[in-house]
Amino acid sequence: MPPVGIWIDGLIQSCIYMTMAFGMVLVFSILGILNWTHGQFYMLGAFVVYYAVTAAGIPFPISILISAVVIGGLGILVEKFIIERVSVPSAQGALYVTVATIALIFFFEGTASMLFGMQDKGLAMVLPGVLNLGSFSVSYQKIAVVIFTLVIMITMYIVLNHTKVGLAIRAAAQEPVAASLYGVSVERLSLIVMGIGCALAAMAGSIMAPLYVVNPFIGGIPMIMSLLAIVIGGLGSLTGAIVGGIILGFLNSVVAYHLSYFSEVVLFLLVIIILLVRPQGLFGASLK
Amino acid sequence: MMPFLDYKNVVPKTVIGLLVALIVILPVFTTNVITLSIFISSGIWAIAAMGFTLVLRTGQFSLGQGAFMALGGYTSAILTVKLGMPFWPSFFLAGIVSGIVALLVGSVVLRVGGTYFSIITLALAEVVRIIAQQWEPVTRGTRGLITSPPDPIVLGGLEINFATSTVPYFYFTVCLVAITALIFWQIGESRLGRSFAGIALNPVLAEHQGMHLMRYRVIAFTVAGVFTGFAGCLYAHFLTVITPYMLGLWQSIQIMIMSIVGGISSLAGGPIIGAILLYTFGIYLSRLEIYGIQQLLFGAAVVLVLLFLPKGTGLVDLWERFWRKVVWREEEYEPDTPDD
Repeated sequence: MPPVGIWIDGLIQSCIYMTMAFGMVLVFSILGILNWTHGQFYMLGAFVVYYAVTAAGIPFPISILISAVVIGGLGILVEKFIIERVSVPSAQGALYVTVATIALIFFFEGTASMLFGMQDKGLAMVLPGVLNLGSFSVSYQKIAVVIFTLVIMITMYIVLNHTKVGLAIRAAAQEPVAASLYGVSVERLSLIVMGIGCALAAMAGSIMAPLYVVNPFIGGIPMIMSLLAIVIGGLGSLTGAIVGGIILGFLNSVVAYHLSYFSEVVLFLLVIIILLVRPQGLFGASLK
Repeated sequence: MMPFLDYKNVVPKTVIGLLVALIVILPVFTTNVITLSIFISSGIWAIAAMGFTLVLRTGQFSLGQGAFMALGGYTSAILTVKLGMPFWPSFFLAGIVSGIVALLVGSVVLRVGGTYFSIITLALAEVVRIIAQQWEPVTRGTRGLITSPPDPIVLGGLEINFATSTVPYFYFTVCLVAITALIFWQIGESRLGRSFAGIALNPVLAEHQGMHLMRYRVIAFTVAGVFTGFAGCLYAHFLTVITPYMLGLWQSIQIMIMSIVGGISSLAGGPIIGAILLYTFGIYLSRLEIYGIQQLLFGAAVVLVLLFLPKGTGLVDLWERFWRKVVWREEEYEPDTPDD
């Protein structure tokens, strides 16, 4: 049985993967494409917070919101000027969008290395202090991550289930054609959803910035992990994204405690087995 | 009677033929190691990009072609260094091992296809890298395996020695690229190639016509795996070292970018043009010593190709359009596009 610290670390990682995977699935359900650049929005979000806190001296909670707005805007621009123009309504359309978003990974990482440099940057602990719970202790920063993720998830739940935009998103995800017949502008909705998805990635990156280092290449691992989380949970299922994120986060830290680097091999094998047994994922609808 | 000569068809092909001939007799003009190694490396990447294009022909998007290069490279390196086998058998074994892995992975993962296939091949690239990094007794971890150049070939009185000069590597690469291009071109022209395109265009219709989707996808993936394995073996022996980070995820994506920028409408021409141009461009950019500019421009190049060239074409198509529009000044034929 691993020590409590490992489980807490697993919880923290679950929080990132959950937030990232949620945004990715949200984008997938409306646009029908996977946004492979998601990890780079995470990275850019961390950079925005880093510069907002160190260079501009803006308080940490407000800089998280700033980073969400900035990166959400960037996501909307990417959707408007690249994804929308590249995608054509054919069998090959999704392929071109995949190529374009993968190319954007290179683009954003290159831009970030040129602008911000390749060396690791660290943000000082924003919430110093440790909560002592007898045999183990948790820093307030980590508690803040968990609470923040919960708040985001509850907000997303309320937005999706109790607002008009949420109703439109759910409708367009189920039946795009029928939704547009009822006056839902699917084009405008895809912009909104892309903005929300990228803002979620940016917020995941910004809340993590004080815990881990910030450099142009931090986006890769969370992106791969949230992709695997989506595969485990089922492509297009929001519940699946959350459950997949939790499973992967805990597995990643608990298995790594026993097997060190080989834990990633175990994870990939697990995903392959899940795909073999249940190709649509744990919560996915059956494949077309 | 003199047959009618379609000069609009012959002249562009002659120009391409002359360019190819120029590259082939390049060592006559210069034996500069740097110039030759640029062509050798771009040839190696071209083979990998051709493999990617072949898999893409069937509508599947592989993000793990770098893994097959790594498999080929490591197989041959382990066989020659650890087991002391000569180079040539291990060269062929490298392709075979890589092909077998492609066959096994493909017959499992290609059942689901689509996005799942991309994600799993991406995961495969990472798994191969992690194993190469962690399996220290065999792969020496991140320090990598030091490989030796291929054994000399004795042809009559002539001895071709790979250790002393780069020229044999150059001709070996040219031969390998030519053989791969020929085979892939023949596949594209044959019934098999048309089946590949068919199952990509409309899988449901193709299946109802009696085509076995899985079989064609696995064939394409395996053939691509074999040749990518050869390329990886050559890469490892040309650079005389193979490390886990040399052929990882980013190299897989680089292969994808070369293929897309070159043009996926042709199985051989596009990847070769894309690999030569982008590799040379990348070497030039890395001399500038501005970190990140290579990734930035490569990424931008792909997005620009996708935005401004007609869908599914790359620089290869630009070449044909150059002749049609600039040289012959043909009127553009505008087909009626029915609204659907």
